[in-house]
Amino acid sequence: MPEFNVRSDSVNVEHIMEQIRARIREKRGVDYTEQQIRELAAVKLEKFLDPRGVRSDLLDQFRKAMPAYEPPVLPNYSFESDTLFESHRGIIRFFRKLFHPLLKLFLFNPNPLIRALNIQAQLNTMYAEREAQRESSRRAMDQLYYELIHNLVLELTRTGIEVKNLKMRVESLSSRLEFNERRARALESAVVYKPSEEERPARPLPPPAAASPHAAPTTPQPQTPSPQPPHTQGGGPPEGPGQRSRRRRRRRGRRGGGPVAGQFGSPGGSPQPAVNAADGSTEAGAETSAAFAPADPGIASASAAFGTSGPTGASAGQAGTGADDDQEDEGPDDDGAPHTGGGEPHGQ
Amino acid sequence: MKVAVVVQRYGTSINGGAELHARYIAERLARHGEVEVLTTCATDYVTWRNELPPGVEQVNGVSVRRFPVKHERDPLVFGRRQERVFAHRHSIGDELDWLDAEGPTTPALVDHIARHAGEYAFCLFFSYRYYHAFYGARAAADRAILVPTAERDATIGLSIFHPLFRNVRAILYNSPEERTMIQAVSGNESVPGVVVGVGSDVPGNPQPARFRQKHNVRGPFAVYVGRIDENKGCKELFDFFDGYLQDPHGKLSLVLIGNSLLPIPQHPRIRHLGFLNDADKFDAMAAADVLFMPSYYESLSMVALEAWALGRPVLANARCDVLKGQCIRSNAGLYYDNAQEFAETLKAIEQNRWLSGTLGRNGRQFFREHYDWPVIERKYLDMFDRIRHAPAAGAIEPLPGWLDRRRQDLPAAEEVLAKLPTGPVTGPRQPDGRRSA
Repeated sequence: MPEFNVRSDSVNVEHIMEQIRARIREKRGVDYTEQQIRELAAVKLEKFLDPRGVRSDLLDQFRKAMPAYEPPVLPNYSFESDTLFESHRGIIRFFRKLFHPLLKLFLFNPNPLIRALNIQAQLNTMYAEREAQRESSRRAMDQLYYELIHNLVLELTRTGIEVKNLKMRVESLSSRLEFNERRARALESAVVYKPSEEERPARPLPPPAAASPHAAPTTPQPQTPSPQPPHTQGGGPPEGPGQRSRRRRRRRGRRGGGPVAGQFGSPGGSPQPAVNAADGSTEAGAETSAAFAPADPGIASASAAFGTSGPTGASAGQAGTGADDDQEDEGPDDDGAPHTGGGEPHGQ
Repeated sequence: MKVAVVVQRYGTSINGGAELHARYIAERLARHGEVEVLTTCATDYVTWRNELPPGVEQVNGVSVRRFPVKHERDPLVFGRRQERVFAHRHSIGDELDWLDAEGPTTPALVDHIARHAGEYAFCLFFSYRYYHAFYGARAAADRAILVPTAERDATIGLSIFHPLFRNVRAILYNSPEERTMIQAVSGNESVPGVVVGVGSDVPGNPQPARFRQKHNVRGPFAVYVGRIDENKGCKELFDFFDGYLQDPHGKLSLVLIGNSLLPIPQHPRIRHLGFLNDADKFDAMAAADVLFMPSYYESLSMVALEAWALGRPVLANARCDVLKGQCIRSNAGLYYDNAQEFAETLKAIEQNRWLSGTLGRNGRQFFREHYDWPVIERKYLDMFDRIRHAPAAGAIEPLPGWLDRRRQDLPAAEEVLAKLPTGPVTGPRQPDGRRSA
């Protein structure tokens, strides 16, 4: 299959390349280069994510900003009763203790001072420990808050993306729905007008012994359990279940809406209810079984021996369909007259 | 008439493009006069290690005089200096340092040219970017003919080469795109120049069936010939061909010929045959449906010319102006700019036998008209006649003094390159539908 038109003996490479590029543009729909497409894709993604300001590394950033807490080493002192007289030189320490009573006697009493400073040192230690504990717990709480915020941001982002996806799906579905509505309207307006029974000219029935290959085994036979006259088999192409069910609905309407299954009997004589009213194939099978129920017990037993209740498979469906077609075309159900021939062969 | 061919490496086992070009030209010109090749003792273009003995030897009937390289290339120093001159504002001194680091630094060769220049009617310098061409052309300016083999890379933006382009006696270009680029960067329109290129010894009766039988290649295939390297566009080729393989209608396989520096994709329809001799290579090209030429930078693709000589179409990378220009001028190849174009052009050649045949025929005609050896030889001899009777220009502009060499006033080479005109050179369309250069 030639990909482009080359008609003359002289090839023009530039022209061929233009044609090839035009075909690529047609396939792609828009005349963008690869680079432009990549840029567009990147821009869309940024727009999609940026407003939410997602920072997936929020927690890492926080940990970087706030290293593990270590309580500071604060300056403190321990003040005891002999601290005032401490010295690394033993002799000085000795003389200070020696003259301590003289100090108390002539100058001032240092004991209250020593006591106060001792208490203050204990308080300082206590406050430092308490502050360290408090700071540690505060930082732990901060970390928890950050983790919580981080998880919230993630969930929010995820939710935002889901919302965006859902919006797009809704748009897609609504556009599809709109298209289907338009299509349905277009199809309705295009339905071919079909003349009613009265408007249709009467067609002569073919001779009863038209004797198509299908007619021979379907000569009218008495049907024991069915109150309806026996259906005849007609030739014609196989039809879809939708077509059959439409015809059946119209027929029911003419009969007054009675259930079809109740009017036909099963080969064994007991009424065979339709499995699913909407399932045309099942109903057709029931009808076919009824229409071809052999009156002769010998035939019935032979059919039972083969596990069937009459004509099987495609021929059964076809026969049933043909009977329906005859009813549609000739309208014999209304007057109850039995069919005698194979009917008008379809598709010929 | 005695002609010196000065080239960085020389020998039958040297397969670099410019070196092969020089050898072909030397051997062809030897039929018309005396030719002496002046070259180095190096065989490796990365290290410039002295691997061949200095002195004179005969290679295919041509006298070859080798000179030792003073020092090998230090990749770290070279990389650092290259980064400096390509990407930053720099001085002439920086560029000269870069040239020294690039090599092959052969002062003995330059001294020989300076002392014996009078013995040669002309000195043909191949590859402007190397030490031997820069200093050798200065040593024999009144008889220097340059075959630049310039590619569209940042080296062309270095200012030390611009006086060289302006002051040699003549320039033999490989392609119209190369000429346009050099004229734009150096303003050397007054220098006699002609687009010549190089021919190839393509066999008259290649044996495609022999290749298929020998290497067990069946079905239609495309061939790539050359070093399998990312710089040659092979990685992109693999990606694009992988996309083509997804198309159930495509039947072509890919046959790779050449040493590989890249991992070859594992696929039943990709075959790597390694390095093949010339006979097998030409047989393969004759058996192929199309030749891939994915390189981004080419001054002249000899492989493409050989494919055309064998009547095979070429699919080239459109980002290489030279290849694209050749495809347009010859009407013998298509080109691609992205994966979709690659797939579509390849399908066009594969599925339209008439197109493929016509492209091949055009290529054969293009080769005969422009790259057949008699044409190439005639262009060289005509240029010799032309400049022999023309008055010699003066010496090449001297290098600036110590202080000026250190003035940091030169723009980055990449900036210079970015300002040069791009695109293939396509002249007006001729009556037969082809474009002239």
